[in-house]
Amino acid sequence: MKKLGTVLIIAVPVVLFGWAGYLVFFAPSEPPFDWRLHMSQADHDTIVATLNHLYTRAAYTVTWAIQLGYAAWLIVKWQSQQRKLTENRRAN
Amino acid sequence: MKKLAIGLYLLVTAALLAWAYNQAIYVAPNDAAQGEMFRIIYYHVPSFAVCFVFFALSLIGSIAFLAFRHNNPGRAQVADALAVAGAEAGVVFCSVGLVTGPLWGRRAWGMWWTWDARLTTTLVLWLIYVSYLLLRRFAAGPQMQTLAAVLGIFGALDVPIVYMANRWWRTQHPAPVFGGGQDSGMDPTMVGALLWNMLAWLLWGVLILAFRYRVERRQQKIAAEEAEEALNS
Repeated sequence: MKKLGTVLIIAVPVVLFGWAGYLVFFAPSEPPFDWRLHMSQADHDTIVATLNHLYTRAAYTVTWAIQLGYAAWLIVKWQSQQRKLTENRRAN
Repeated sequence: MKKLAIGLYLLVTAALLAWAYNQAIYVAPNDAAQGEMFRIIYYHVPSFAVCFVFFALSLIGSIAFLAFRHNNPGRAQVADALAVAGAEAGVVFCSVGLVTGPLWGRRAWGMWWTWDARLTTTLVLWLIYVSYLLLRRFAAGPQMQTLAAVLGIFGALDVPIVYMANRWWRTQHPAPVFGGGQDSGMDPTMVGALLWNMLAWLLWGVLILAFRYRVERRQQKIAAEEAEEALNS
C-alpha cells in the first residue's frame, strides 16, 4: 500500500509533464503570415483562441507538475531518511 | 495536536488553491488585448513573488549561519537548514516562472525566449541558486556550508536587480503591472484573482519550505549520528 502511494506521487507529476508537453507540441500550427489569402477572419480567430487556450492550460499544468514533482521528491527523501534512522537505531 | 494543526493547514491551503484557480479561470475577465492567454499571469507572477520571499529567507539564513558558526553551532545549523530550504523552494518557484514565462511569450511575442534584461537577470538568478544547490550536493568538507552561505548572499543580491530590471531598462518584457508609474494597474476583478493566487501559492510555498526544512534538520541529525558512530568504532 505504501509502495503504491509512492508510485502514485511520482507518477502524477510525470503524467502532468507529459500532458503539458502534449498540449504544446501537438497544438495546431500557427496561422501563416499571409493567412488572409487562405482563411476567413473567423477561422483565423478560432485558431488563435484555440492556441491561447492550449498554452494557458499547458502553463497551469506544468506549474502543478513542478510543484507536485518537488513535493513527491521531498516525500521520497523523507521516507528514505526514515529507513536510515530505523537502520541506525537497530545497529546501535 | 500538531498533526491536527498540519491537517488543518493542508486543508486550508488546498481550499485556497482551488478557490484561487476558480478566480483565475472562471471569475477574472479575459484581457482585451491578449484574451485568455493573459490568465497565465495568475500563476506566473505569484511564483516569482513567492520565489523572492524564499530567496530573502535564504539570505537571512546564510547571514545567520555566518554569524553563529563559531560561537553557537546549534543555532548555525538551524540557520543553515533555513538557508538551504529557502534556496531550494525558491528555485522551484523560480523554475515555474521561467517555464510559464516562455509559454506566454511564445503566444504574445511569437518567441519562446529573448535576451531581454528581465529575462536574463532572472535566468542568472536561477543559475546562481542552482549552483548553490549543486555546491551543497557535491562539495565535501567542513567549509562547504560557509562557501554555500557566501554564495547564497551573493545570489540574493540579484533579486533587487531582477525586480528593477523592467523599470531600469525598457526592453521586451512588459512594464510593471503594479508600481510602474501612471499607466500601470489592473482591472479590480483581475487584481482580486491575482491576490488570491498569491496568497494560495504563498501558503503552499510555506508548506513545502517547512517540509524541506524538516528534511534538512533530519539530515543533519543523521550526519551527526553517523559521525559519532564513526568516532566510537
